Amino acid sequence: MSMFDQRVPRLCWPEAVSRFVSYRKVNGTALGSVQNPLMVRFRFCVFQEDGVRQVLQEMEALYEQNQADVNEAKSVGRADLIPSIKLRHCCLLRNQRCVVAYLYDRLLRIRALRWEYGSVLPANIRFHMSAEEVQWFGQYKKSLASFMRSIGGEEGLDITQDMKPPKSLYIQVRCLKDHGEFEIDDGTVILLKKNSQHFLPRWKCEQLIRQGVLEHVMS
Amino acid sequence: MFVTDIKKDFYDVVVNQRVALLVAADIDALCACKILQALFHCDQIQYTLVPVRGWQDLSTAFLEHKEQFRYFVLINCGANVDLLEMLQPDDDSVFFICDTHRPVDVVNVYNDTQIKLLIKQDDDLGVPAYDDIFRDEEEEDEDGGDSGNESDEGSEPSGKRRRFDEGAIERRIERQRAKREWEARRREILFDYEQYEYHGTSAALMFFELAWVLTKDTKDMLWWAIIGLTDQWVHDKITHMKYVSDIATMQRHVSRHNHRNEDEENSLSIDCMRISFEYDLRLTLYHHWSLYESICNSYYTACSFKIWTLKGQKKLQEFLADMGLPLRQVKQKFKSMDVTIKENLRDVIEESSNKYGMKDIRIQTFGVHFGFKNRFLASDMVHATAALLESTEREENDTTNNFISALDSLSRSNLDRLNAGIELAKRKLIAIQQTVASCICTNLILSQGPFLYCYLVEGTPDVRLFSKPLALTLLCKYLLKAFVHSTRNKRCKLLPLIMAAPKDVEKGTVIVVGIPPESETSDKKNFFGRAFEKAAESTGSRTLHDHFDTSIIELKTEDRSKFLDALITLLS
Repeated sequence: MSMFDQRVPRLCWPEAVSRFVSYRKVNGTALGSVQNPLMVRFRFCVFQEDGVRQVLQEMEALYEQNQADVNEAKSVGRADLIPSIKLRHCCLLRNQRCVVAYLYDRLLRIRALRWEYGSVLPANIRFHMSAEEVQWFGQYKKSLASFMRSIGGEEGLDITQDMKPPKSLYIQVRCLKDHGEFEIDDGTVILLKKNSQHFLPRWKCEQLIRQGVLEHVMS
Repeated sequence: MFVTDIKKDFYDVVVNQRVALLVAADIDALCACKILQALFHCDQIQYTLVPVRGWQDLSTAFLEHKEQFRYFVLINCGANVDLLEMLQPDDDSVFFICDTHRPVDVVNVYNDTQIKLLIKQDDDLGVPAYDDIFRDEEEEDEDGGDSGNESDEGSEPSGKRRRFDEGAIERRIERQRAKREWEARRREILFDYEQYEYHGTSAALMFFELAWVLTKDTKDMLWWAIIGLTDQWVHDKITHMKYVSDIATMQRHVSRHNHRNEDEENSLSIDCMRISFEYDLRLTLYHHWSLYESICNSYYTACSFKIWTLKGQKKLQEFLADMGLPLRQVKQKFKSMDVTIKENLRDVIEESSNKYGMKDIRIQTFGVHFGFKNRFLASDMVHATAALLESTEREENDTTNNFISALDSLSRSNLDRLNAGIELAKRKLIAIQQTVASCICTNLILSQGPFLYCYLVEGTPDVRLFSKPLALTLLCKYLLKAFVHSTRNKRCKLLPLIMAAPKDVEKGTVIVVGIPPESETSDKKNFFGRAFEKAAESTGSRTLHDHFDTSIIELKTEDRSKFLDALITLLS
């Protein structure tokens, strides 16, 4: 904010926003020690509450300064204040665009998580979402579920499965780590031990493949 | 019991069930497993594949999976031991065993309900007759009944009783004598039956025939069956006669598969797989190496020339000069060798090798050809896959990883893995050759009377490679052949060889392998299994008979000398 006192305003990005511009980089690296493959793939990180708050504060400060200058310009008639007013206005608009872009991008990622992962997200991902995002996710889930119920006759159609046309009913999978017992539709239980190979129905394996427990083997 | 109709009694039984496949760690088993997996994929039979390395692994895997599966298919494990006693399964578990290990345990043969053997019965099994080894229970009851009668008759007049007594006692003595005789004969029969260990028809071949009966056989399956058969030949498990007759069977299948495409005007695309019969040289991996290296590192040529001696080197140079092959060409990669030289190479080499005493430099085998640069012989694939299966690149406890990578390398789509395997195999062969050379030159092979013995000390280069059974068996074979060629002692040439190498330094164990004597007409029957067991029992040595081949055991290093002494006394 020091750039915006009575000295000649310098043309440079506001500090808080410049931090945001590189938010992609921040989002790219997994913060903390969580190594969830989904998070790494989706590059989903903690909601930057501090950052957003700082930007909003900065916007407030700029706006107030602008208000003061506008009043002064109107009352006293100082035309030389107008460029700085315009500059501040541009900064305000840019701040707004950045914040909205950030929020929207996060929403898109959360939506993709629903499609990839399912309706129950693991605790560490939910921890990274802000309260409003959780609420939004809940509403999105409900809306998707009611849509799925409305198509496909009586029971509805789960369109989040089989995103690509399946080539066969059963697939060969290899277990990448010990996962313990796993139950399939007809009640039989399979022991998933590291490096064991199984030939299982495709729809049961999809979840585990996405989680990284099983690996699809094509021979 | 033996399964006569493999389609009806095995495949139709499992076709709607879930099956557990327990697969041993050798190439034949891997190939059989691939064929079976392909069949199961066709018919969507759900299965779980578990690699097992030894009896302990087998028991653990069984315990883990016995609640979930009713049908177990065991590939190259389980036939030579009383399986029901070892695993203690529930009454409704059924085991399908396709194993090359012989002799098949008599309990497995005569069990009608739970054990089904997918083994050809004309494989000269020599199973003893049922009556010779199993005795009915009625005889025992008669004895009891007789003594019961005796006590009943106690109230009778004494004269009659004495007569009855004498008759009864005589009968009882007679029966006991007959029983002892029968038991002695039974022990003898069982001893003769179980004395020698050998191998039967390849498991991959059995499953390929199943696929053929179901008319679901493909060229890939045929190729895997050929690799399984070649593995038995490379690791010296079957006799030459059997190998040749099985090759003839395979040749019929190959011509059947090739015949389909001959008539068409447009022949198959170059990427399709073509299997062809080759009467090719016995030089290991020579297509993927240089000819010179291959000659130096294939045991047949290396032992005939005695390449570890100076004289041998000179002989090799003479051999090459005799054929008119310039050294520069011979030392470069085979693929870049001059085409004019490659054209008649096999015939030229055969002619020259006849002069140098190598009569069987050529062997019948098969080769596969797909794409423009992918050409492999069956023995190349065996060596590559074996090197991957026993690779010591990554640390131990990674045996299942090795199993998976070896299994993957058999598919045509994983050529980079196969090539990695070939590089490992080259290193392994060079290591074997160097170890053989050093053992012969430093006279590490000692004659202990009834057998030859060699011990690889801890600091020997590449000794880690030889802590694995397949690699050590290969080394044994080469070493014995080299020894036979280089020794002048006629008696030593007929002796078998026992070899010990350090297996696990922290636990202080060595792996001991015994192979039968080297001879032209050897029937490859190995008596070391029983011998090791008896010697371990008599000396109380701490041994682990974990491997499916009973002639390979693990022994504590400290017990080595007393174990050997016991063996010497046992076998002389």
